[in-house]
Amino acid sequence: MDKDLRKKVVQMVFAGKDGHIPSSFSIVEILKVLYEHCLRFDAQNPEWPDRDYFILSKGHGCVALYVILHKHGFLTDQDIDLFCKPGGILGEHPDCTKVPGIEASTGSLGHGFPFAMGIALGLRLRRMANKVYALIGDGECNEGAIWETALVAANLNLGNLCCIVDNNGSAATILPVHPLKPKWEAFGWETQEINGHSESEIRAAFGRLSFSWEGKPKVIIANTLKGKGVPMLEGHGPWHHRIPDEQELEIIMEALS
Amino acid sequence: MSENPVRQQFADTMLEVGRDDPNLIVMVGDISHFILQPFAEACPGRYYNVGICEPTIISMAAGLSKMGFYPVVHTIAPFIIERGFEQIKLDFCYQQLGGNLVTVGSVFDYSNLGCTHHCYGDFALLKTLPGAEITYPASPVEFDTLFRQAYRSGLLTLFRIPAHPHSHGFSPDDIRFGEGIKIADGSNLTIVVTGPQLSNAVAAWDALGDMGWSADIVYIHTIRPLDTDLIRASVLKTRRVLVVEEHMQSGGLGDDVLRTTRDIPDVQYSSLSIPDTFVTEYASYEGHCERLGLSRDGILDRVKADFGVGHALQRKGLG
Repeated sequence: MDKDLRKKVVQMVFAGKDGHIPSSFSIVEILKVLYEHCLRFDAQNPEWPDRDYFILSKGHGCVALYVILHKHGFLTDQDIDLFCKPGGILGEHPDCTKVPGIEASTGSLGHGFPFAMGIALGLRLRRMANKVYALIGDGECNEGAIWETALVAANLNLGNLCCIVDNNGSAATILPVHPLKPKWEAFGWETQEINGHSESEIRAAFGRLSFSWEGKPKVIIANTLKGKGVPMLEGHGPWHHRIPDEQELEIIMEALS
Repeated sequence: MSENPVRQQFADTMLEVGRDDPNLIVMVGDISHFILQPFAEACPGRYYNVGICEPTIISMAAGLSKMGFYPVVHTIAPFIIERGFEQIKLDFCYQQLGGNLVTVGSVFDYSNLGCTHHCYGDFALLKTLPGAEITYPASPVEFDTLFRQAYRSGLLTLFRIPAHPHSHGFSPDDIRFGEGIKIADGSNLTIVVTGPQLSNAVAAWDALGDMGWSADIVYIHTIRPLDTDLIRASVLKTRRVLVVEEHMQSGGLGDDVLRTTRDIPDVQYSSLSIPDTFVTEYASYEGHCERLGLSRDGILDRVKADFGVGHALQRKGLG
């Protein structure tokens, strides 16, 4: 579990007085491995034609993505300092019209995944080998568009598309979607299920993927914990969109030290 | 072959444009599948009968647009515009991606299918989206010409196809995206009309003359961007304007005409449109129009009721 990245998430949320800490914490390791080991990108040229595409369909987890983009040189210190502040480019949902490295403006759930499917189809038509990854939430799996996309991508045999489900337990408390693995298999996807906080498991799962223009689309169901790393934040509860005060900040930082 | 000549023109235009432009992609929700087969055969890999999942088709089309394609999404109007509205708003308009929506089932063309298949608020909805373009090509030549002019605009463009085209003959040279067309010259009344109702406006012109009205007829095929110069020039002259449209009163062309002419003194305004209620009766398209006054006689009655009897000064004839 990466405590340093989580600390940066909390510092941004505390300073910006906005953000979804638990939903960011559940995807830290997934993003870390993606950007360190899987995605091809050029932070100095975010529109590099040969880049791989990553779409954070569960846009409310964006603070974790901002921290990663900052780490890899897409964002400046000033960008981070101005999170949710006038003059800044970083808001509580990622905005592709403002932020280098963001491929889609997401936030309304169920949009980023079919958008990513369109990119994957476009890449196949252009005979480009770029890979497409979309990260969705298990709560987002309540959206009909997720399952429409699951149907369509399998029907189109889009082997260059990979979906990662951040299975952090949100849906279980709302409209349960479990078990996810047999559902995705029934929709015709190549399916893996892993511990979404184990960097070695995540890396191994990505390593097993074989992208192609024609083939089954791939899904990795990453079992995670919302708020992972700080007991006070864990689970789908009042901390979903709560900003810590100074005393709570101390408790969180202590838990991450 | 479609019985609707504008819809058939849509299929023909896709074929012709698609042969020349490898970036044109057509995506349908199981409608017009058979008339689009020539396109599908001529342009392999660029035709998709995606499925009955309109929001996903729209998001997916936006993804294709990001990759440099010119997507065309086609199905029945309410399923694109109303069900897929948020996808249009966020995935195309907010992300500043261009694309094309071609709808059939304009207004109540699917008359007896009821409210689920009616769509008379589409202008209003799309006008809330910054950058969205709205066209209403009500004859084959208008569709062909407007599509060719606008499909690569980089903006989201609606082409609203009616099942009942008007009978006025245009040449391609008459059609310019964003520009209205003066159909008749008059002096004391402006009729701003869009869609199939152009036939009724032209049919009413002589009878209006007998009532003392010399009418400018301004035809609008592009609702947005609107040719405000042409409308203002006419209303500045006539100081009376009747807007005739197959759209709900709220948010339709009439609202735009009011806004466009608000600073012109002493303008009398009237409109023939669909009241802000659901059309619930079962009737043919013609039956609905007749009941709502969207007819030649309806135009005459509305002019008489709202403007009285005129005193024609000049009648230059129909263009």
